[in-house]
Amino acid sequence: MWPLVRAMVGALVGYLVGITITVLAGLGGVNSEVALVFGYTLGLVGWLYGIGLGRTWVREWRGLPARPDAIEGWRRYLTFSTDHKVIGVQYLTTFIAVLVLGGISALLMRIELSRAGETIMNAERFNMVMSMHGILMVAVAVAAVLGSFGNFMVPIMIGADDMAFPRLNAISYWLNVPVALGLILAPTVGSFDSGWTAYPPFSTVNNHGQTLFIVSVITFGLSSIFGGLNILVTVATMRAPGMTWGRLPIFVWGAVSASILSLTVTQFFAGALVLVEMDRIAGTTFFNAAGGGDPLLYQHLFWFYSHPAVYIMVLPSFGLSLEVITHMSRKPLFAYKASVVAMLSIVGLSLIVWAHHMFTSGMANYFHAPFMFLTESISIPTGIIFLSALGTMWRGRLRLEPPLLFGFIWVFQFLMGGVTGIFLADVATDINLQDTYFVVAHFHYTIMGGVVFGFLAGTHFWFPKISGRMYNKRLANIFAVWIGLAFQTTFIPMFWLGTNGMNRRIADYPEELENVNLFVSISAVVLGLGFVLFIGNMLHGAIKGPKTVGNPWSATTLEWQVASPPPEHNFHGVPTVLATPYTYGSTMRHAQLADEPITAPLVGTAYEGD
Amino acid sequence: MASLTHASSHGHAEATWRPQANRLGLWLFILSETFLFGAFISSRFVAGTDHPEELNQPLALGLTLLLLVSSISAYLGEQAIAHDDRRGFVIGLSATMLLGLAFTVGVGFEFAEAAQHFPTSTVYGSNFVMLIGLHAFHVVTGLGALGVVLNLGRTGHFGSEDHWKVEAAVKYWHFVDLAWVVIYPSLYLMGRN
Amino acid sequence: MRGRRGDWSLLFVLWAVFIVIGELLAWKVDLLPGNYAREGEVVDEAYILLIALAVPVFAGVAATLLTMMVRHTTWKLGDAPPTEDGRYLPHHRTLTIVWVTVSALLAAGVAVNPGFVGLRDFRGEQRADHVIAVQAQRWSWQFTYENGAVATDELVLPVDERIRFDLSSIDIVHSFWIPAFRVKLDNVPGRTTQLYVTPEREGDHADNFNLRIQCAELCGLDHAKMAVPVRVVSGAEFDRYLNSLRTGV
Ligand code: HEA
Ligand code: HEA
Ligand code: CUA
Ligand SMILES: [Cu+2]
Repeated sequence: MWPLVRAMVGALVGYLVGITITVLAGLGGVNSEVALVFGYTLGLVGWLYGIGLGRTWVREWRGLPARPDAIEGWRRYLTFSTDHKVIGVQYLTTFIAVLVLGGISALLMRIELSRAGETIMNAERFNMVMSMHGILMVAVAVAAVLGSFGNFMVPIMIGADDMAFPRLNAISYWLNVPVALGLILAPTVGSFDSGWTAYPPFSTVNNHGQTLFIVSVITFGLSSIFGGLNILVTVATMRAPGMTWGRLPIFVWGAVSASILSLTVTQFFAGALVLVEMDRIAGTTFFNAAGGGDPLLYQHLFWFYSHPAVYIMVLPSFGLSLEVITHMSRKPLFAYKASVVAMLSIVGLSLIVWAHHMFTSGMANYFHAPFMFLTESISIPTGIIFLSALGTMWRGRLRLEPPLLFGFIWVFQFLMGGVTGIFLADVATDINLQDTYFVVAHFHYTIMGGVVFGFLAGTHFWFPKISGRMYNKRLANIFAVWIGLAFQTTFIPMFWLGTNGMNRRIADYPEELENVNLFVSISAVVLGLGFVLFIGNMLHGAIKGPKTVGNPWSATTLEWQVASPPPEHNFHGVPTVLATPYTYGSTMRHAQLADEPITAPLVGTAYEGD
Repeated sequence: MASLTHASSHGHAEATWRPQANRLGLWLFILSETFLFGAFISSRFVAGTDHPEELNQPLALGLTLLLLVSSISAYLGEQAIAHDDRRGFVIGLSATMLLGLAFTVGVGFEFAEAAQHFPTSTVYGSNFVMLIGLHAFHVVTGLGALGVVLNLGRTGHFGSEDHWKVEAAVKYWHFVDLAWVVIYPSLYLMGRN
Repeated sequence: MRGRRGDWSLLFVLWAVFIVIGELLAWKVDLLPGNYAREGEVVDEAYILLIALAVPVFAGVAATLLTMMVRHTTWKLGDAPPTEDGRYLPHHRTLTIVWVTVSALLAAGVAVNPGFVGLRDFRGEQRADHVIAVQAQRWSWQFTYENGAVATDELVLPVDERIRFDLSSIDIVHSFWIPAFRVKLDNVPGRTTQLYVTPEREGDHADNFNLRIQCAELCGLDHAKMAVPVRVVSGAEFDRYLNSLRTGV
C-alpha cells in the first residue's frame, strides 16, 4: 500500500506545482489547458518518483545505493515490483478491467443505438462514450497480450530469469495507471469527443478533455515503446544456451515482431498528438488551414502509426493463437519457418500501406493505386498464418478444451475480418464503405475477433501456469460457445448496416435501419453478459480452483517445464535447450513418453540443470 | 540502463549478457528517437522547403559549431575515463556541458527572434519552434545525463572496467548532436529565402 | 486413426457445398440497396466480384476447420493431461509453395480487377456538364449552382449528366457521402476537392432514404444530422428548379 500512497502524493504535488508554474508564468489560469498539460506532466513525474524511482534510479544517480521497497505477499502487486511475473499479472488484471470498462461503454452505446432518435443519451454524450470506448479498447488491444503474456511468458519461454531491464519494465506498467486516470477523469473537464482517431482541426477546437486524451495517449505510447524495447533486448541477449533463433516458440516471434513496430512507429502517434496540442495551446498552425496548415498532415502521421498499430495488436495474437493451436493439436507447428518469415514481412509491409485509410480524404489520386496494391499484398503473409494454423490442426489429436475452442473461433473470426479487409483495401468499394458500419464490423472481427479472442485463448491456456489452479473447464467452454455465437450475431449485421447506408459515429440513424440495429443491440447485451461468466470463472478459479499439476496440457515449451506457478527465478540453474519447441510425435518424444510420467519435463525444450 | 546493481546469482550469469543488453538497449532507444525526429522533420517539409530571410544565419552556424565541438570533448572525456584518467574525464565532460549550456542560451535568442519575424501563426514558424524546441528538450535531457555521470565520476565512480553509464550519456549526446546536423540544414539551408 | 481419404473427401464436399451456398447467396440476395449513379454501378460490380472471389477462400478455410472439428476432435472434456500425440509433421514444402502461389495470384488478381480496373472506371473522364460548389460547415451543407443560385435544404441534380462537385469546408473536416450513388469525398478546410458523379436514375428521398447527402466524417454534435435529401430529376425540370431558385419562387 505504502508505495501507492507515496505515488499519489507525488502525483498530487507534481500536479499542483505544474499548475502553480503555469499561473505564475502567466501562461494561463488554473483551469486552462496549459495548466492541464503542465500539471499532468509534472504529476506524472511525481507519480513515477513516488511509486519507486525515487528509491532506486534517483538514488543511484546521486551515487547512493538503491533501496527498493521490500514488500511480500499479494501486496507486492501494488508496488514497483521488477519481477516480470508480477508485472505480467499486473498487466493482465489491469487490462481485463479496462476491457470491462470499454465493454460497458460499448453497451451504453448500443442501448442508445437500439432505437432511432434519442434513447438514453444525447449526441454530445454519445460522441464522448464512443470515443472513450474506442481509445480504451485500442489500449486493450495494444497492451493486453504483449503486456500480460509478453512479460510473464517470454522470459520463461526463452529460458531467462527476468527481462533485460526490470525497472524499465516496471515503469512501462506503472505508466499505464496515469493513462487510465487521465482518460477516465476526462469527463470532469468536458470529455474528448473526436473518436480514437482525433482528427484535427476538430480535435484542436473541442473540449479540454481532448488535452487529457493527448497527454494520456502519449504516455501510453511511451509505455509501449519501453515495453517493446525491453522484449527485443531480452530476446536478443538473454536466450538460454541452445535456444537459437530457430527454436524460439512462435509466441516469442509474435512478441518480437510486434515489438519492432511498437518501438519505432509509436513515435509518430506521439509526434502527431504533440502537434495537435501545440495547435490547441501554443497558437501554432500545423493543421489550421487559415494559417497555411494542412489537416491531411495529421492523417498521414497518424496512420503511419495506426496502421502498423493494428499489427502491433494482432501479431502477438497470431503467435499466441498458433501456440495454443499447436499444443492443443498435439502436433508440431506447421511451417514454422514460413510463419516466422510471414510475421517479419508483415512488419515490413505494414510500414507502407497507411494511406488505405485515406482513400476518401482528398489526398492526391496517384496515391490510390499503389496503396491499394500494397495493402492487398499483406494478405499473402497473413495467409501463411492460416496455413500454419490449419496445417497444425490437420489430423491432430484435438480434444475439447477451452483454449482449443477459442482457437477454432479465432481462425473463423480473423478470417472474416481479414477477408472483409480486402473490400476496404479496394479503392472503388472503399469509397462507399469508408466510415460506415462495414468498417466497424471489419475491425471488430479483426481486433475483437482476432486480438481479444486470441487473448482469451491465451488466458485460458496459461491460467494454470500463472495461478497454479484450474478454472471450471465446463463453464469456460460454455463461455466460449456463448460469446462465439453472440459475437457473430452482433457484428455480422453491421456489414449489412454499412452497405445499407449507416455511417459510423452517429447517435441517430434513418428509421429504416431500426430493426437491424435493435437486433444488434440485443446481441451485444447477450455478448456482454457472457463476460460476467468469464470474470466469475477466473476469479473463482484463481482463489478456489483445484490445484493443477505442473503441466496440465502436457505441453512441450519451456514455460511448462517448471512448476506452476513458476518459482521465483523461473529456473533452478541455467536451462539448456536441446531441440525445437514442438517435438510432438517425434521419435525423440516417443522414447521420453515411454518411461516417464507426462508431467515431468519432456524432451523438446526440456532443460538440463538443477 | 536498468539496474546495474541488480546482481542475481540465478539464471545464466548476468555478466555475460548485461553489457550486450545495455548496448543494444541504447541503440534501440536511439532508433526509436530517430522516428520521433523523423515525424517532426517530415511535417516540416509538407508546406515546402523554403525559409524566411530574417533567419540569423551566423548565430545558427555558431551554434552548430558549438555542438560539434562539444561532441569531440565528450568523446575525449569518455576516452579519458576508459584509461582511468579521472582529471581528463572531468575536464572533457565539464567542457561538453558548458558548450551545451551555451548552445541552450543561443537557442533562447533564436526563439526570441523567431517570435518577432516568423511567429507560430505561420507554418514555418510553427515548424521552427517545434523542431528547435524538441531538439532543445533533448539537449537539456542530455545535459542532465551528463551532469549525473560527471558528478558520479567526480566522486570516484567509474573506471576503465566500468563506465557504461558514461558511455551511454556520451552516445546519447552524439545522437543529439547528429539530430541537430539534420535539423539545421532542413530549417536554415534548404530551399530559397 | 481414421481413413486418410475421409478427411479429404469431407473437406472437398464441404468446400463445394459452402461455395455453392455462398455464391448463391451473393447472387440471389440483394446485398446492396438501390443504386442511382454510373459510379455506383462500378462500385457494386467491384463489390460483387470481390464477394465471388472471397467465397471460395472463405469456404476453403471454413471447410478445413470444420473437417478437423468433425473428424479429429474428441468432444469430451478430459481431466488428465493428454498422453497421445499426433503425427510429427512440421512442414510440407509443396503445400506451402502452392498455398503462397495461389494467394499471391489471388492478391494480384484482385489488385488488377476490381482493383485497378475499378479505379479507372470509377474515375471516368475528368469532364463535367455541370459544376456545383458544395461548402460544408458545422452542421449544414450549402450548394452553389453555376448560375449563382444557392440552396441548403435539398440537392437537386439532372439525370444522365456528368456533375462535378467542388467540395470545401469553412471549419473542420466533413465528408460528402451520397450512399445511393456510392460516392464519398472529404471536405477539407484549406483546399478544394473534386468529385465526379453521373446520376442515371430519377428519384428522391421518399423513394430511397439513401438518396441523401450524409456527412461521413465525425464533426461533433450534429454530425449524424448533417444530412440533406437528394433529388434526381430530368434535365428540363432541373432547369426549372434552377430558375426558381434564382428568382426565389
Ligand atoms: C487487429 C486489427 C486489424 C487487422 C489485423 C486488420 C487487417 C486488415 N485491414 Fe483493417 N482496420 C482495423 C483493424 C485491423 N485491420 C481498424 C481498427 C480499422 C479502422 C480504423 C478506424 O478508422 O477507426 C481498420 C480499417 C481498415 C481499412 C480502412 C477502412 C476505411 O476506413 O475506409 C482498410 C482498407 O484497406 C483495412 C484493410 C485491412 C486489410 C487488407 C487487412 C489485412 O491484414 C487482412 C489480411 C488477411 C486476410 C486477407 C485473410 C487471410 C488470408 C488468406 C486466407 C489468404 C488468401 C486470401 C487472399 C489472397 C485475399 N482496414
Ligand atoms: C479491443 C477492441 C474492441 C472491442 C473488444 C470492442 C467491443 C465492442 N464494441 Fe467496439 N470499437 C472499437 C474497439 C473494440 N470494440 C474501436 C477501436 C471503435 C472505434 C471508435 C471510434 O470510432 O473512434 C469501436 C467502435 C464501436 C462501435 C461504433 C461506434 C460508432 O461508430 O458510433 C460500436 C457500435 O456498435 C461498437 C460496439 C462494440 C460492442 C457491442 C462490443 C462488445 O464486444 C462489448 C462486449 C462487452 C464487454 C466485453 C463488457 C462486459 C462486461 C460486463 C457486462 C460487466 C461485467 C462486470 C463485472 C463482472 C464486474 N464498437
Ligand atoms: Cu459534418 Cu460530420
Ligand atoms: Cu490499416
